[in-house]
Amino acid sequence: MEKKKSLSITGILSSMFSGWNWVARCLYLFWNICSLEVSGGLVQSCGHIIPESPVLALGSNFTALCILNESCLDFGNIYANQIIWKIKNRVVPKEQYREINRTVSSVTFNDTSSLATPLTCNVLADGQIEQNIYGITVTLGLPPEKPKNLSCIVHQLSKLTYPMTCTWNPGRHTFLDTHFKLKYRWPRENFPDCIPKDANNSCTISDVQFFVNLEVWVEVANALGKNESDRLVFDPIEIVKPLSPHNLSVNSGILPTVLKLSWENRISTAVMKLKFNIRYRIINETNWMQVPSEDTASPRTSFSVQGLRPYTEYVFSIRCMKEDGVGYWSDWSEEKTGVTTEDKPSKGPSVWRIIDASSPASWTVHLMWKALEPFEANGVILRYEVTVRAKPPPFHPPLKYNVNTTSLTLKLPNRTYEVTVIAHNRVGASPPSVLLIPTSNSKAPVKNIRTLPKDGKLWVGWTAPNGNVLKYVIEWCLLSNSSDCIMEWQNEPGNIQGTYLKGDIKPFKCYLITVYPLYADGQGSGQSVKAYLQQDRPSKGPTVQTKKVGKAEAVLTWNHLTVDEQNGFIRSYTIFYKTIDGNETAVSVDPSKTEYTLSSLTSDTLYTVRMMAYTDEGGRSGPDFTFTTQKFGRGEIEAIVVPVCLAFLLIVLLGVLFCFNKRDLIKKHIWPNVPDPSKSNIAQWSPQVPAKHNFNSKDQMYPEGSFTDVSVVEIEADDKKSFSEQDLKPFDLLKKEKSTSEGHSSGIGGSSCMSSPRQSVSDSDEGETTQNTSSTVQYSTVVLNGYRDQTPVQVFSRSESTQPLLDSEERSEDHGGGSDSTTQRQQYFKQNCGQDENTDRPCFEIAKQIIPANEEDLAGFAQLQISGQSSEPLGLGLEKSTQEAALSDVLQTSTEGQTVRYETVEGNPPSVDEMPKSYLPQTVRQGGYMPQ
Amino acid sequence: MGTRRKAGWGACRGERGRRQPFGGSVPFVPTVRGTGAASGWGLRHTQVVTGAGCEMWECHGAPRGDGRRGSPGRGAGVVPFVALLLLQRRPVAGRALLVNGPGCPGNSLCRANVHEQTRKQVALLNATAQDLFSLYLKCQGEPFSSESDKLCSPSGIFFPAFHVNRTSEKKEVMVAMYKLFAFLNASLGNITRDQEELNPTAKELLDRLHNTTKTTRGLISNLTCLLCKNYNVFQVDVSYGESSKGKSTFKKKQQGCQVLRKYVQVIAQAARTLLPHLSPV
Repeated sequence: MEKKKSLSITGILSSMFSGWNWVARCLYLFWNICSLEVSGGLVQSCGHIIPESPVLALGSNFTALCILNESCLDFGNIYANQIIWKIKNRVVPKEQYREINRTVSSVTFNDTSSLATPLTCNVLADGQIEQNIYGITVTLGLPPEKPKNLSCIVHQLSKLTYPMTCTWNPGRHTFLDTHFKLKYRWPRENFPDCIPKDANNSCTISDVQFFVNLEVWVEVANALGKNESDRLVFDPIEIVKPLSPHNLSVNSGILPTVLKLSWENRISTAVMKLKFNIRYRIINETNWMQVPSEDTASPRTSFSVQGLRPYTEYVFSIRCMKEDGVGYWSDWSEEKTGVTTEDKPSKGPSVWRIIDASSPASWTVHLMWKALEPFEANGVILRYEVTVRAKPPPFHPPLKYNVNTTSLTLKLPNRTYEVTVIAHNRVGASPPSVLLIPTSNSKAPVKNIRTLPKDGKLWVGWTAPNGNVLKYVIEWCLLSNSSDCIMEWQNEPGNIQGTYLKGDIKPFKCYLITVYPLYADGQGSGQSVKAYLQQDRPSKGPTVQTKKVGKAEAVLTWNHLTVDEQNGFIRSYTIFYKTIDGNETAVSVDPSKTEYTLSSLTSDTLYTVRMMAYTDEGGRSGPDFTFTTQKFGRGEIEAIVVPVCLAFLLIVLLGVLFCFNKRDLIKKHIWPNVPDPSKSNIAQWSPQVPAKHNFNSKDQMYPEGSFTDVSVVEIEADDKKSFSEQDLKPFDLLKKEKSTSEGHSSGIGGSSCMSSPRQSVSDSDEGETTQNTSSTVQYSTVVLNGYRDQTPVQVFSRSESTQPLLDSEERSEDHGGGSDSTTQRQQYFKQNCGQDENTDRPCFEIAKQIIPANEEDLAGFAQLQISGQSSEPLGLGLEKSTQEAALSDVLQTSTEGQTVRYETVEGNPPSVDEMPKSYLPQTVRQGGYMPQ
Repeated sequence: MGTRRKAGWGACRGERGRRQPFGGSVPFVPTVRGTGAASGWGLRHTQVVTGAGCEMWECHGAPRGDGRRGSPGRGAGVVPFVALLLLQRRPVAGRALLVNGPGCPGNSLCRANVHEQTRKQVALLNATAQDLFSLYLKCQGEPFSSESDKLCSPSGIFFPAFHVNRTSEKKEVMVAMYKLFAFLNASLGNITRDQEELNPTAKELLDRLHNTTKTTRGLISNLTCLLCKNYNVFQVDVSYGESSKGKSTFKKKQQGCQVLRKYVQVIAQAARTLLPHLSPV
């Protein structure tokens, strides 16, 4: 504010020199500011505002006056019409100004809500420089409202200390410093005000005097006014909340149903007569019972609570208030416990039995009874007295047993019995409980047994049978895979048709409940039902797997979930299956089934299948299972293979028949009879021919003239056309085969011409031993035009070959000269093997391996294979054609034999270049000689 | 026991034995200046002194220096109205100013339940008097605890006469009770002050003395209301006992013992007398 005043003076002084130039005035102004700041309070303001720092009510109107000092008028030429009002830095519109006279200007605000602080009065010195004259702080707020809802309560803190606390609603916030005072007085006395601390809505008077009317009210005041609440007049005794009775004690009374309570009141009867509330409950129970209030409506320090259960521990608590009900209840006192004395049991124990009737003549009766509830036992049960009477009564007295437990097992003859159980405690015996055990449950059973979960318990209902039912026995047990069915039971009176199971019934567990009606003269058979207190989704889903998979169908199987896994009644199964990229398909299945056939599947496709089991609460899926449908349906393969095989066999058969019919022709072309050189006239020509061999047998076997057609092969080269290619081909192949692998199956004629030199050398190596037994044969040269399609090149007139005769030939001759083809093949293979340089096995073994093959197949296959090799001059056994592969399936054994042969062939592949090296005659001149 | 200061005003008019009978409608004249106009609610005791001069003292503005000032119950307890002192050894007499002007003060507070409140106050005092006396004896030690009959005989002390019975007029009973409890209020104030000096640690005794004192104070307020409103009695002459100030410790204890013993006797009579008279008018 001092600074504001300084600035105002500076402005006025500067205006004195209005004639100076603007720069000079600024310098002068600066000098004045500096000088006046130093001089401090020596300066005086040129005006002031009325009112000074007002406190205004929000929303009201307000007028302020700015009054200029007369001294400044002449000195600075400042007049009221130059005044500018500002709120903070905002100029108040001129419309709100009013020039009262030349020194006074007023500003009016119709609503103080638009006001802000500070409100300043300013002038324009020389019409240009704005100078502040004065400023005020405006405080806005609200006048206090009338305090409402004043109420007081006297809390008893001790026997003689009664502070009174009054509370009220202070009303709206005033934005101002507002003071509350709680005022109170007697008829002739006023007391010091109670000033709230840290609050504006309550105050506590440390002590009050009862039985004097007290007037209480609240006064509130701030800068904008004051207000006061309605006045309350009351006797403080009427608003007391007393301390609860203390030192509560509980004593057992004479009767087993009475407990006597004693306590001390902490307020004098002379001050206040009290009434009480007594509440009590059985310990471990939560519900309180209360003594009728009219029984405790008078002052007292003790009370006997009646109607209690014998031998029961009770918890008591008490509270009090003014007898006439004016005031407040005290808090409940601390709880105290007491136990009533014992009484004899009020009822007998419930009895039931389990009968093991495995023996036809006698029963094993397992009697069991329930321990009495505490409110029934009325004390500590010391023993049970069990009496078993046979009915009709026999001559011997009834059986009596005293037991401490709640079960008894008896072995009794198969009769009707009446069992009586009596419980004893220290005071006396209970009424007897009677159970009739008939020989059979021949009475009417209950009907329509049903269950219903209700209020967290399992309710069992049934329709009563026709007849006077004495009582019902409800048996139940928990069904589980992991434990046996442990039977629990309870008795119910015969006039009801439903009850809750009294036991620890667990949710998600299956219970088997059986209801037996008991009659005075017998018992009905039990009717059972399964029930869940609460169901849940199964804990797991069924594990599905395939039993059989076809081309378009699959048979799925699964096992039922165990009862522990079900968690409820399985209402349905759903099978979900899909291909790897297809949509999932769901199929509902009856829960009783364990097998299902999926149909319309795609062949040769991978399927994923899973299964969900549903209870009422939802389902759970089992693990996924995958399977692939078959490519071919049932019988499709057979339908293809069998005809093919049959066709093949037919062809083979036809071929064999053909060959059989044409065997002479074939033989002539393939295995022409080689003339016996020993009978040759040429042999006689040779001076070196040892005439030592005896061919008598051969002479007999091959009489002269029998080989005429064979030994003399005269074929015109042009005549080869007379053979069909098919006829010639196998023949050529066989010939080639013989030339490459066998080479020297025979020695004379066309065959000999095919022998290679190397083979001949090889043969000659082996033939060393042979030479010992066979003579060297001098071959004659056969001059022909050419053997079949071979071009005759030269003509041999005589052969100097020392090649021995074949063992086979010799042997066959030795064996009587049989020309059986099979025998020939065997020899053929044997020889072939004998030439295999890579195998150590004797030829005989290899030959034996081949023998088991079907001869026909083998023959046919050999022929086919030869045919297949016809286009391959060398190593033809290394590659398998598709046909070979197919055939190998059929003729596996033969194939193996062939494989061996292939290796053999592979081991000695004859080279094309070697072919001309054969020293054997390669051509025959047309018109060769005829064997003699 | 709070501050105690001499009032320093007024002559001890009581020493002149100025007594006026209860005049039903007689306009009363204030006998003590400042009565009823005391600043705040500070209590003014009339103390009987044994000295030659008339010594006035104010008990205290607050009943105790324990911050309980302002309580209408605890603390003070001594009636705030008239207090006259007699300088003689005789009991002090005075005229109590019930009201300061026309009409009854706090008329709105003088409700029908004042009768019942008064009866309960008397009953409360009666119920607690014997315990208070016994506790007082116990706290004074020997020989008071064993020789109370001899030491506490009230025969030698002043005590307002209480010659009313059940057949007396209600107004007479009310006036007698007013005198009685005005005397008791002052005497209990003195006893409390002495015990705070002699037995400052006897908390229970002090609490009982305070509670009894404040109850008598409330009772006087109610009686004032009844006398003014129902019987138009605006002024009552009261007498006070001797002051124990300056006496020896033994004398202080003895005087308190004598007053309390008499109090036990009279309060029982008052309770019996008041019972039929304190039904709503």
